[in-house]
Amino acid sequence: MHPRASNWGWNPAGRRRYVLILLWLGHGVWVLMGPHPGQVWTRAAGLLARPAGRMASRWEDWRARRREQGRSYAQIQAENARLRAQVADLEVAAAQAAPRVSEADEAVRLLGLRKQIPLPLEGARVIFSTRPEAFGGLILDEGRDHGLVPDQGVIVPEGVVGRIWSVGPTQSKVLPADAPNASLAVMLARSRATGVLQGLGSGRAAIRYLSNQEVVQVGEAVFTSGLDRVFPRGLLVGYVGEVVKGDLELRVTVQLAAPLDRVRLVLLLPPQPPLEVQEPFVAPEQKPATRKRGTP
Amino acid sequence: MSRPVAQSSRQDLLAAVALGLVFLCAPFPRLQAVFHVMLVLALAPRVGAPLRTALWAAAGGWALEGAARLYPHLGGTPWADMTVALLVAWMAGRWPLEHLKGWLARLAALLLLHTLLVHGAVRLAAGPHPWGTGWAWALLSLPLWGWALWRLLYGDGAAGRRP
Repeated sequence: MHPRASNWGWNPAGRRRYVLILLWLGHGVWVLMGPHPGQVWTRAAGLLARPAGRMASRWEDWRARRREQGRSYAQIQAENARLRAQVADLEVAAAQAAPRVSEADEAVRLLGLRKQIPLPLEGARVIFSTRPEAFGGLILDEGRDHGLVPDQGVIVPEGVVGRIWSVGPTQSKVLPADAPNASLAVMLARSRATGVLQGLGSGRAAIRYLSNQEVVQVGEAVFTSGLDRVFPRGLLVGYVGEVVKGDLELRVTVQLAAPLDRVRLVLLLPPQPPLEVQEPFVAPEQKPATRKRGTP
Repeated sequence: MSRPVAQSSRQDLLAAVALGLVFLCAPFPRLQAVFHVMLVLALAPRVGAPLRTALWAAAGGWALEGAARLYPHLGGTPWADMTVALLVAWMAGRWPLEHLKGWLARLAALLLLHTLLVHGAVRLAAGPHPWGTGWAWALLSLPLWGWALWRLLYGDGAAGRRP
């Protein structure tokens, strides 16, 4: 019964020994399976199948995630397309409404200006512009049908535009302030020196009849003086752009404040307005109140 | 482990007779237990080769369990029979017998071990079960069948020592 090395090889004795071991172990395993071997086999099969089951579970999870991601991606694409269409519609609507919005903004600003000037102002719409042409102007949609007369002042919130040059039955022509044949009584903000504004074209004008002795600074504001009886005193005309001393008078160039090329809504001053309105358009700068000695 | 062919055939013949008696004594469980113990403890270990020893012992165990048909899961008795038969064969080669008393004592000890092992294996395989009184009858009749087998197997004076 002593095992020898030769008995464990693949020879008749070794094979008999292996069969004996297999027989004994087989019976032992069969005994250890117990009274319900089906459960043992089920547990063993489950144990052996557990790695495959885990792999299959992971595979199914991965496929489910892929499917969910694919569905989410499709949903996102559909939503993106829908939002893109909405954005395009909104852009079209915004483009269509842009002129109205701009005009509404301008109207609001005109209303603000109308509240600031205590005069019966009337609004009008610029329907055409012939400014690029020689002696060109702005065409308004109102004429004699609204009681307009020549030489009524035309203003916008930024400043003075010009005056009504001619009045038709339903339309009027505005002579802008930068026209070569336009003239406007103005005064300088600091020196209060008065002069006559004559147009130079392209939104520029020159102040005539200013003495060499006047001190004028570049950037100084230019207001209407009211002496022409077209505009009341104190409406903003523009700002000094250049000052050159001449032999007898100063040559002052003014950049007009009103955007004459982009004006669409204007306010019309009444004919022959008063020299100075009760409430000035541009309020003078308030000096700090000096406190008297002894007062609280 | 090699034995003369005639002696080996005689041992196989005796084992086959014992196996047949196990089958035939199915109506008499106590007698069947005695022949089963004789086959496992005395005859199968002497057939000359471990594989044949295991096969005879397993055949005895399957014959007993198959005839009884008491357990839901068979196999405990054949495994215990194989284990004990192989142990007895190994002991016979390592500690040869010289006297009848030693033979009987060893048989008694092995019978108790066999009984415990069989019932333990059957409990493992089939669950709780009645032990029965076969083991007790085998133990009580041990002097008789032990002496008979001693005379039958070692009557030539070899005293159990393997050549």
